[in-house]
Amino acid sequence: MRVSLPLSLAMCLGAVRTAASAHADDQALVPVRQRQATATEIFAGPFRSPRLFAMPVADVVGAYQLSLSGDASLLQEPGILSAAGVAAIGFGDVAQIEYRHTSAVGIGDIEAPIPAVGVQLQAPFRERPWVPAVAIAFRLGVPRRETIADQPVDESVTDLYLVTRLRLRGALTGLTLHTGARVSSAKIVRPGFDAAGTAKRVMVLPTFGLDLAASDSARAIAEVGLAPQFRFDPAVDAAPRVDYGLLGRVGVRWAALPAVVLDASIGYQLEVAHGQPADGLESFVQWDIRLGGEVFVPWGAIACRVTGGFCESRE
Amino acid sequence: MSMNVPKLLIAGAVALTAGVATAQPMPVPIPLPTPPPTPPDGTPPDGAPPPTDGTPADATPADGTPTDATPPGDATPPLGSPPPIESITEVEALPEPPRPPIDLPELLLAPSGAMLPAGVIYSRSGVDTSGGLSSDMRFGLGDVAEFGVAVTDLIRGREASDQTPRRMAPFYTATFRMGLAEHRLFRHQPALALGFRKSFEFEADNHRSRIAELHLAASGHVGTRTTVHLNGSFWDASVETGDEGAVLLHDQGLSRQFRIGGGVAVRAVEDADILIDYAWIPEFCFTCTDANRTRLRPILSWGVRYDLAPWAQLQSGVRVPDIGDANLLDAQIFGQLTLINRSIERVVDRRRRR
Repeated sequence: MRVSLPLSLAMCLGAVRTAASAHADDQALVPVRQRQATATEIFAGPFRSPRLFAMPVADVVGAYQLSLSGDASLLQEPGILSAAGVAAIGFGDVAQIEYRHTSAVGIGDIEAPIPAVGVQLQAPFRERPWVPAVAIAFRLGVPRRETIADQPVDESVTDLYLVTRLRLRGALTGLTLHTGARVSSAKIVRPGFDAAGTAKRVMVLPTFGLDLAASDSARAIAEVGLAPQFRFDPAVDAAPRVDYGLLGRVGVRWAALPAVVLDASIGYQLEVAHGQPADGLESFVQWDIRLGGEVFVPWGAIACRVTGGFCESRE
Repeated sequence: MSMNVPKLLIAGAVALTAGVATAQPMPVPIPLPTPPPTPPDGTPPDGAPPPTDGTPADATPADGTPTDATPPGDATPPLGSPPPIESITEVEALPEPPRPPIDLPELLLAPSGAMLPAGVIYSRSGVDTSGGLSSDMRFGLGDVAEFGVAVTDLIRGREASDQTPRRMAPFYTATFRMGLAEHRLFRHQPALALGFRKSFEFEADNHRSRIAELHLAASGHVGTRTTVHLNGSFWDASVETGDEGAVLLHDQGLSRQFRIGGGVAVRAVEDADILIDYAWIPEFCFTCTDANRTRLRPILSWGVRYDLAPWAQLQSGVRVPDIGDANLLDAQIFGQLTLINRSIERVVDRRRRR
């Protein structure tokens, strides 16, 4: 799972060249990049979000666009506002480069954000009824240090996602299914210790999501998936471990404006390392409320308006 | 970030609440540039010839349709006048549709099935005769959800079962609710809301407490003046004392967690409702057995909600925290002010209609 960031970038840009033509029909569905465009026209969208809440979807941020998103938990850790975020920039409607905090369950049983950089590629196929869109995402984890009982540990997660998106039709119009698998290489290391202080595990983690148009500007979303869970308690066992954790979330994403999306959700996590939950669903005190948002910046259209660069070519 | 975060949130909520009233002004006339004087012969000051049909240059037909076909944004302003403000021009061009009144997300205490419209900010602040202060602030998301933060003075705790419970305040909570509007799926379908409320940790006297509530609420209109509300709530709570492990309410079984509540609102006169509701709230006993560490106590409330303005309501009434013990001596008289800010809703609607 050793793929360098420059190689990832090269893969991304190469895919852009070969696939951009296949998305020519979609070019009309992007913010206008014209010198005379007004701010209203520039920010009218449409914009595509590359995620549900934590789960990536088979869409990427459009060309000449930047997506800034984040969310914060008011209650996950009592009295502490924990936050996570993603910055993604689109390339050619089929790829994006991103910096994000990956979902993982930390030692303190909280959904610890681990910084990661990555690329996401969308298969450049024309959308057809009942044919799912497919995307692949690679996220390179950056070590993050936690201190448990004065003992530092470094955690990192590197992920390879394969996700699909299927828009249902007929009586189920408005409902979109998202499925995926996350191949995750999770590692926890106690600095200064030998192999006994290191735990590494490659895991296959299924994810599933639903997306329902609840109104003309809001979507009800549910997602559930497994995630790596780091275990380390020096009072019990000097060796850290990596286990499975389950994350579930249900909520709403509301596009207050085409370029501004607000989301709120409740989430649940429980330990499933041995196939048995540590606490039942009635343990509401383990649930969490998260509030977040996403802002789309059509930087190409703005640059065109201001400087005349990056404007649409007139053919 | 420390515990100051919820305090800052509440402080922000209170500050926004204070700004609600000023954010709801009646339409204020927009100062327009003073037109230059027109000569007696009707010749415009720029030297252009007067209209040949005798119509004054600034005349507007009786139906209000402007005679000038030039888009407002393309018109050249008179020399020396301020540039036109695009948004104001468009606001004038797009008449505001009348906005229906809002069904509130709670009665006096019990949750309702109604959901705040998208972009609406709702706040309620209250005081009672026992000296308690409470505040609740919510924001509507996409007509199908709402998020809020609140501080409540209703949570009580006692050291032992024979002691008098004392207020645990301020107890900060956050709320997220999703729901369906009335008649959305089929006719006579009640408004439905699935809500989750969870508190921040409250620490005092070496005790750390948290509560959480999951409720499903339904509200339906009966006739033109009555609304009936019903809800079922699952409660959970956690109490830790010193280094002891947490005592959890959900370990005591579902029968200790599930309660039914509700209420009725009757529009007695054109601008006032009579409200009765029945709700539940946890009470802690820190040295009791695990089974009795957290108990759910019923609260009966009744009162009046008076519409001061489309954006303000005043509630007042009586609350009996110990109705389960038929204890009327500790009843409280309360007053609450509800403010509704629809500024963001208007801005979002305008943007969407462009």
